[in-house]
Amino acid sequence: MALLGVLLRRLAQGLVIVLLTALIIFTLLRVVPGDPVRLIVGGMAPDNVVEEVARKMGLRDPLLIQFGHYAGGLVQGDLGHSYQRPKSGAIAQGGVYNDPTRGEMAAVSDLILERAPLTLQLAATALVLALLFSLPVGIAGGLHPGRWPDTLAFFIGCLFVSLPNFWLGIVLALVVTVQLGWLPSIGYRNYAYTLLPAIVLAVELSPFLIRSLTVSVAAVMREHFIEAGEVRGLGRARVVLHALRNASVPLLNLIGIQLSTLLGGVLVVEYIFDYPGLGQLTVNAVLQRDFPLIQGIAIVASGIFVLVNILVDVAATKIDPRLEY
Amino acid sequence: MGDTAIQPAGPAVPARLPGGARSVPYRIWADASRSGFMRVGLVLFVVLLAAAVAWPEISGTDPLKSAIRERFLPPILFGDKWSWAHPLGTDQLGRDMLLRSLIGLRYSLLIGVLTVILMFVVGCGLGLLSGFKGGWVDTVIMRLTDAQLSIPMIILAISILGVSRPSVASIILVLGLSGWPLYARVVRSVTLGERKKEFVRGARVLGASDWRIMALLIAPNVLPPVAFVAVLDIARMMIFESVLGFLGLGIQPPTPSFGNIIADGRKYLINAWWIATAPGVFLALTLTSINLMGAALERARNRAYAGES
Repeated sequence: MALLGVLLRRLAQGLVIVLLTALIIFTLLRVVPGDPVRLIVGGMAPDNVVEEVARKMGLRDPLLIQFGHYAGGLVQGDLGHSYQRPKSGAIAQGGVYNDPTRGEMAAVSDLILERAPLTLQLAATALVLALLFSLPVGIAGGLHPGRWPDTLAFFIGCLFVSLPNFWLGIVLALVVTVQLGWLPSIGYRNYAYTLLPAIVLAVELSPFLIRSLTVSVAAVMREHFIEAGEVRGLGRARVVLHALRNASVPLLNLIGIQLSTLLGGVLVVEYIFDYPGLGQLTVNAVLQRDFPLIQGIAIVASGIFVLVNILVDVAATKIDPRLEY
Repeated sequence: MGDTAIQPAGPAVPARLPGGARSVPYRIWADASRSGFMRVGLVLFVVLLAAAVAWPEISGTDPLKSAIRERFLPPILFGDKWSWAHPLGTDQLGRDMLLRSLIGLRYSLLIGVLTVILMFVVGCGLGLLSGFKGGWVDTVIMRLTDAQLSIPMIILAISILGVSRPSVASIILVLGLSGWPLYARVVRSVTLGERKKEFVRGARVLGASDWRIMALLIAPNVLPPVAFVAVLDIARMMIFESVLGFLGLGIQPPTPSFGNIIADGRKYLINAWWIATAPGVFLALTLTSINLMGAALERARNRAYAGES
């Protein structure tokens, strides 16, 4: 079957990309100056202690050997252990640093799996909110090119794309949580805590969706089959429905491409709202130079990119069979 | 945003048409400047730019000097301690918010523009090469763009800047190198159509070298439409720069940048809300002005090419 073959080829290509990501991020982290061991043992530790810990951790081996060890674990699904985060329960005693060689550090895969559901919940909520808002605005704009709905869609797009997410997050937290007390915002206790961060992300995503919808709906409405539908006496609603099916393909592709925007947004928004998901984990991993954790997250993220883009392509061909893989 | 902002331009026509007709870039510009959005954006942008360039020079105050007795002054018309000397209030060290915001705007614009230039040069250069040469050069460059588009660049960018000490140059480099693949793709697709055209074949018959054809015949037709759309990317890069600053991975304090002022102000949000919000208003206004211009130019470009085919 053609589909299966294409899927296998795409998956194989995806695997190469994920491995490439692993190699690039692994190398960059070690080439760029900044020693994680210094952070682990503390600024006051003598240099010989730093060197000893670094050697025990294998950080002084040649880069290729280090990557060999890492890739060996990777194919078995082992993403390594965090440099900074102990297993839950194991608390570092006062004055004693977390020794990453002692094997009581949390596994990167556990850390990621633990955080992933909350981030998925946030991303899904944001996507739904963005679509709920963008669909009416974008479709109205596309159906009336050059008229006020089009201008409105254009203006909303320009405005929303100009609101930096971190600033919007702070302003919303100030107004909605502090002044009005409508929604909670810092940390996570129940689903209500997802809403405000999701609104910020939705505002960030909407301009792209609105613009794509306006352009593609307007383009589809100029096609001959729309006229044909009207000539055959189909109602306006039926015709528009046909147009939407065609206009949904670019939208779907866009969602695949905008995944990186969503990821960037998630990082910042989770950090601002102290939302305990993957984004916050990433930012903290970077700030703590927790190499295995950064690598693990980058690899998982690129894996998700690859998978989503394959899914998008498959879904697009299901909607519009004229497309080729 | 570059993801959607630059779509393959339609068939390009020679930049200078015979018989006194205006060039395509000129017509795009003329068309765009009839739009109200373009005018509003342009006026707003010029005002903000002038303020950023001139005010720090003529105000005669130092954006880094603290004045403890004047700390936490609210913006004008808010509260009862405000003064005309500090229209946007002061921060936790008594530094003038207006001045700091404008300095932030300088850095933000500088980084945004330089980053887009870097992206544009690298991306368009490789795209031209890829489309014109074809063969293995094309394959290598295109696979490189594929790979880079699937790698979560944001994680890569914050990792590099987080692990090393960020400077203006490293910020530009990291942001610029993450954005070029889209330019490469668009320019390649247009170049593919262009190289089959008669004037290119003619030039080759006359003995022009590949470089000469690329630089003098193809580039002038392919690049201007892409350049119009690159305006939108300036805003996008300015946002990235401020996000980096906010995470502590951008321009380092005490030098003010939008990101680090807002990150600082967040600590005083309840009692001195203006420290975190006022610079953001500036940034959002600047971004709106750029996006209005950029989107108007993009629409005009799309109209120009739709009219031709």
